[in-house]
Amino acid sequence: MELNGKSISNKTSILNRVKNSSSLGDIIIILVMCTLLTVAVGNKFLSIDNLISVCRQFSFYAIMAIGMCCVIITGGIDLSVGSVFAFSGVVTCMAMTDWKLSVFSSVLIGCISGLAFGFLNGLFITKLELPPFIATLGTMSIARGLSYGITGGYPIGSLPDSFKFIGLGYIANIPTPIVLMIVLAMVFSFFLRKTIAGRWVYAVGGNEEAARISGIKVDAIKILVYSLCGLMAAIAGIATAARLGVGQSTAGQGYELDAIAAVIIGGASVSGGVGNVIGPILGAAIMGILRNGLVLMSVSAYWQQAVIGVVIILAVSFDKLRNKKK
Amino acid sequence: MKKMLAWVLVAATMFAVYGCTAGQKTSQPSAEAPAKTISGATAAPAADIPVVKEDKDITIAVVPKALDNAIFLDAKNAAEEKGKELGIKIEWVGPTKSDAAEQVSVVEGLIERKVDGILISCNDADALKDVIDRAVDSGIYVGIFDSDSPNSKRAFYAGTDNYAIGKLAAEKVKELIPDGGKVAILTGVLGAPNLEERIRGFKETVKGSNIEVLPVQTGEDDVQKSVEIVSQYTAANPDLAAWFFDGGWPYFADPDALPEVKKFMKNGGHIVSIDTCEPMMQFVGMGMVDLLIGQNYPAMGSIGVETLYKLIKGDKSVDLGDATHYIDTGYELADINNWKEVLATKTPW
Repeated sequence: MELNGKSISNKTSILNRVKNSSSLGDIIIILVMCTLLTVAVGNKFLSIDNLISVCRQFSFYAIMAIGMCCVIITGGIDLSVGSVFAFSGVVTCMAMTDWKLSVFSSVLIGCISGLAFGFLNGLFITKLELPPFIATLGTMSIARGLSYGITGGYPIGSLPDSFKFIGLGYIANIPTPIVLMIVLAMVFSFFLRKTIAGRWVYAVGGNEEAARISGIKVDAIKILVYSLCGLMAAIAGIATAARLGVGQSTAGQGYELDAIAAVIIGGASVSGGVGNVIGPILGAAIMGILRNGLVLMSVSAYWQQAVIGVVIILAVSFDKLRNKKK
Repeated sequence: MKKMLAWVLVAATMFAVYGCTAGQKTSQPSAEAPAKTISGATAAPAADIPVVKEDKDITIAVVPKALDNAIFLDAKNAAEEKGKELGIKIEWVGPTKSDAAEQVSVVEGLIERKVDGILISCNDADALKDVIDRAVDSGIYVGIFDSDSPNSKRAFYAGTDNYAIGKLAAEKVKELIPDGGKVAILTGVLGAPNLEERIRGFKETVKGSNIEVLPVQTGEDDVQKSVEIVSQYTAANPDLAAWFFDGGWPYFADPDALPEVKKFMKNGGHIVSIDTCEPMMQFVGMGMVDLLIGQNYPAMGSIGVETLYKLIKGDKSVDLGDATHYIDTGYELADINNWKEVLATKTPW
């Protein structure tokens, strides 16, 4: 009897958690979109091939958005992720084709390059006290310029199959980028929820001055989150280069806005202190499903941008209204 | 720490600026006052320009739609080659991405620096018109390649007739699917005059036939987005008979990244695409595209620079093409029968 009581209480607690979850709004939006698309285009949307294609497509944005989410929780912003995405992709491909390094070493170099850009962003923001918008605008230009400079504008192809596996392969019938996204989401979720540094990230975003007075190393936390954001942009860039089988200096143009949009749709606040790892994934999923839906419904490209804008505003407004009511 | 970081930044910037300028012997416009002016030529700028200028003092800036678009690299190489041959300086400058406003700023900078000639591919015909007119009024000869601004005061347009290649693509599609069917179109940046002309040429040619043209889809000049859209659209439309790509974006990816296209072609689908860049040729050999229609970018770069040079030198023999000053640089075709020969003419990427 007592056991039954415990079980009922657990169930109620789970239901309450789901009900109060900040992600519930996004889940409702996704379900509504899926239902509407199923009605509109039928099996085209629900086919396994299409669903896998959509998930793989948004996984690259989601990986980038997870890093961006940490930055936004601290009240910052990182505009350089699209350029770092391209730079890390071309550095990795060059390491394999021009410098003849192994796939592992090349990927490592690519990741380090992204981490380094993130670290620089953190230094500029904390030590030079540059506003995040300006500091990352600068590194956005530097990373893009370096990508053009080292490649001369030419794409880098002829990549080994073992590298392409990162973007095109499958692990237990699930595309590798999706597996990568899930693993990274779990790692970041653990970091934010279960580690002291993770809690400090929220503290810094909630009230930076209070965090400083209470002894939190605010600068170190900021450098850490920008470095992680750079690393995530690099991982997304490398995975995309592997998916296309080519590294390009042009990749990732405007992706910073997609990453920021995914985080905000996912329920994070631009003023900091609020957000979780599931949010940006759901935000990226909403945008991915929306783009896919417009393609499946054969909506003319000349109208798609306007529709995407309307849906983003509706999604965020719905979430805000729901939270206000709560 | 802050001071040290600031000094390191300043030193790095100075080093970078020195590094970027050291290898580039670009002369500023000569301070000499212009002597006489050329008169009579329809394409002559309004302001005074020197009639005779030493070849080594002539600078022609070549401005692509975007520095990040590898498709312009053949034009760049040919322009530089022609510059070497003529003994003049060629500068390759442009916006980092396809953006008309950024391109206007680049041209404004060139007007300030008073270069002798500008060869430009316009991101937007109307947006670039005023700045081209200002350049011409300030004494700079302006030629256009690849993408025209026909209402501007430009001296000439060297390029492919985009309407004609759209029409040619449509004729090929009609030949490939004689019974008709649904045809999808993939484009790049919406509103780019050259791409819109190709679409217009295509649509007007299939009008009245049994071909149904589906709403245009865009990959926004982005390889990843183009690959995703083509893959999803192809998979979602099993009754699709053919694709018309008005630019070759999906074929800049690895063939393995396009399994849906492989399947589509295997099941009797057809694809006709514009562009004949080196990486695209393998797709013809693999049967993943029926026909590639390529613009002649080397001719655009070479003819564009040479024509500007002749205008700057006041050479009366200059050929500005037809009555509208259009110089047709033609196009090339690559299909399963000749792709190896076409590939042999390409510079490897």
